[in-house]
Amino acid sequence: MAKKLSTEEILAAARKESGKGEAKSGKPADESPAEETGQASEEQPVRKDSVPARPAAAGKPKSTADILAAARAQAKGGSEESESRPAAKPASKAGGGAKSTADILAAARAQAGGGGGEVKSAALKKATAAGDKPAAPAGDKPSVQEMLKAVREGKPVPKSGEAKKTMPPRPERPAPKKSAKKEERRNVLLALVTTPFAFAWTCFSTASLAATLGVARFMFPNVLVEPPSKFKVGPPSDYPFGGVATKWKAQFGVWLVHAEYEGQNLIYALSSVCTHLGCTPNWLESEQKFKCPCHGSGFFITGVHFEGPAPRPLERVGIRLAEDGMLEVDKSKKFQQELGQWVDPASKVVIS
Amino acid sequence: MHSHPDLTSSVIQGLGAFYLVLFLMNAIYTYFSFKKGGHSKFLERLTGQEIPAAAMWALYSAFLLMIAVAHLTSTSSPNAFLFKLPEWVKYYVDVIVADPVSFSVLSVVLFALMILLREWWVKPVVAWILLNVSVIALGLSMTDWDFRQIVGKPDNVPIVAMLFIVGFFTWLYFRRAIENDKRIDEGRDVFEKEDNEKILVWPDLVYTELMCMVILTVILVAWGILLHAPLEEPGSAVKTPNPSKAPWYFLGLQEMLVYYDPWLAGVVFPSVILVGLMAIPYIDFNKGGNGYYSFKERWFAISTFLFGFLPLWVAMIILGTFLRGPNWNMFGPFEYWDVHKLEVLYNVNLSEYFWLYSPEWTPWVGAMPVAPPDASLPQQARIIFLREAPGFIAVIVYLAVLPPLMAMTLFRTYFLRMGFLRFMVFSNLLLMMLALPIKMVLRWAFNLKYIIAIPEWFINV
Ligand code: FES
Repeated sequence: MAKKLSTEEILAAARKESGKGEAKSGKPADESPAEETGQASEEQPVRKDSVPARPAAAGKPKSTADILAAARAQAKGGSEESESRPAAKPASKAGGGAKSTADILAAARAQAGGGGGEVKSAALKKATAAGDKPAAPAGDKPSVQEMLKAVREGKPVPKSGEAKKTMPPRPERPAPKKSAKKEERRNVLLALVTTPFAFAWTCFSTASLAATLGVARFMFPNVLVEPPSKFKVGPPSDYPFGGVATKWKAQFGVWLVHAEYEGQNLIYALSSVCTHLGCTPNWLESEQKFKCPCHGSGFFITGVHFEGPAPRPLERVGIRLAEDGMLEVDKSKKFQQELGQWVDPASKVVIS
Repeated sequence: MHSHPDLTSSVIQGLGAFYLVLFLMNAIYTYFSFKKGGHSKFLERLTGQEIPAAAMWALYSAFLLMIAVAHLTSTSSPNAFLFKLPEWVKYYVDVIVADPVSFSVLSVVLFALMILLREWWVKPVVAWILLNVSVIALGLSMTDWDFRQIVGKPDNVPIVAMLFIVGFFTWLYFRRAIENDKRIDEGRDVFEKEDNEKILVWPDLVYTELMCMVILTVILVAWGILLHAPLEEPGSAVKTPNPSKAPWYFLGLQEMLVYYDPWLAGVVFPSVILVGLMAIPYIDFNKGGNGYYSFKERWFAISTFLFGFLPLWVAMIILGTFLRGPNWNMFGPFEYWDVHKLEVLYNVNLSEYFWLYSPEWTPWVGAMPVAPPDASLPQQARIIFLREAPGFIAVIVYLAVLPPLMAMTLFRTYFLRMGFLRFMVFSNLLLMMLALPIKMVLRWAFNLKYIIAIPEWFINV
């Protein structure tokens, strides 16, 4: 095991890289392990805790973190070796090989940020930065830096560097446009990094959509337990004059009233919804009024409001004498007194 | 009449514990009074001798202890127990409190007294006596079955606690404000300036907050375990519980709904309240009381706010919680909740008053215009506006003509210092706040239902 990265090391390396990408490129020699053990303490405190640990770790008994890191490094390294073929997706590979979070982030940032021209420079910068510590990993397994270097030397950097050069000869291809071609390649890079996210978001949106549709489905139940809006309430003789039948209130929300209104002897159905704020009033037999428990509105037996805040009379619903001699209430029709609708014959049954 | 026992032995035991707590509170107070020393001027005038105030309190505490012991060890029949509220007190309290007029008058009078007698009641002794009086009144009232039903209801218990808390914080404000008022009069620095020692957020503040958090959590847990939240019957679209009460903090709004149309009391006024409270910093030009308590320097702002908060909000919560019963009728705290209590009201719209047509007496008015059933919309609109013209004029006068009048008379200095726009916002907010008591008075005095009543379009004011 030439190099095992403990978590701290990975972090330190990440910090170093992201922090000093620029500075390092100036003095690559600093990175050699021999110097670091001696110099680093004074000159570059940041590096001190990161790099020197590496040589030391080789001889030390392995801590769990070390073992894990080693395993991780091997796994990654192995996968990278097998993919030593010219990577069409260099930046992302480099990011993966580097296995430091910062690298991945940097790569992602470089790509995401540079939708246009910046991609190249950022990627380049990153590549150089990463490639600046070549000497450190001398072991048999390829190190991060080696991978990066290989990646840089192999395809991607020349490619990104030559992109403009190689561009001119291509127009003869059936491809739509130069810029489109270029875009396409970037899109591939972009897609590789963003694919997991895109996938996750797609899954998420699909699931949310499905859930929403599932909820919407509840609006259309298979079975409606609502009472039908039209129902028979028995013959008129069931309703003696001056009485309010409350037996339909619990199920249908109507009172059947037989009373006199404007000189007519009528049976009508009043909706049991308060015209103030929609509570359900109660019929008080002894007071001969409907009284609302919420803010105290009171209504006469005719449904006309007389006390409390209700601004208008209770609403009537449709009623008619069906052909079989039964009264039929139709809740789908409403008749409001203040709109002059109580004169409508469908709002009452006249008893002669 | 109902036949529930006013007193049972378990109630007597509970009251014994209640008085025991009161005794402990007073014993502690006695201790501090003793440490402080001092004589009671009142007793000196009475007896001509110097009697230490602590002696008074010791006597009183001993009395409370005896009462507590009497409750706890009582073996006589609860019916023969003597220490309870006399019936005539219950009767008069019911008569005064169960009527919206006297209730509101009472709350406004108390509010006025609170402001006028502020220098008297902020004294710790006076406040302590008031607290004792209210606690004993509560204990005595508990001997009534109906009172226990409503006050002891688990979801009303915190409201009783809230009343004491509101009282305490109002007292605290007035105490510090009056202290500062005195200092300002004497030309000294205000208390906040003198006592400007700074403490650290960490650990002082954070530690205090932590302790508060822990204590409140304990209270909440204990409360949740000891008092079971009452669940009502399953909800039903065609059955409303009677009475049907909003959550306690919305009872002010529900009370407003008794006097106003839903869209006004349920939408417009709550928004105006919120926006109005937010607007206060922008319409306030008074730099007095900035960073310190003071009543004199901002008596108008404080009184206005407290009027909106105490008589118009807290008193409405009391009214809604304890006094509104079945059919939203008002019941006294010692009154049985009779579903058939009859309250005769007959409310009439302003337009109906105005168009009271009688050919001999008011021939110049004419009959109330009524739109023919087949009227087109513009036709209908014209007739409705004509019919409701008195109401429209009243509202426009109230909201548009009154502010300039206020600016020219009562609020001259305010207008000059605020400028036109701010003054208009200010005066309209003030008028809207007063609209509630005004409408209440109109309802009680004239059975007025709506000033503008357009049920056809669901607009009523
Ligand atoms: S809902 Fe019936 S009075 Fe308010």
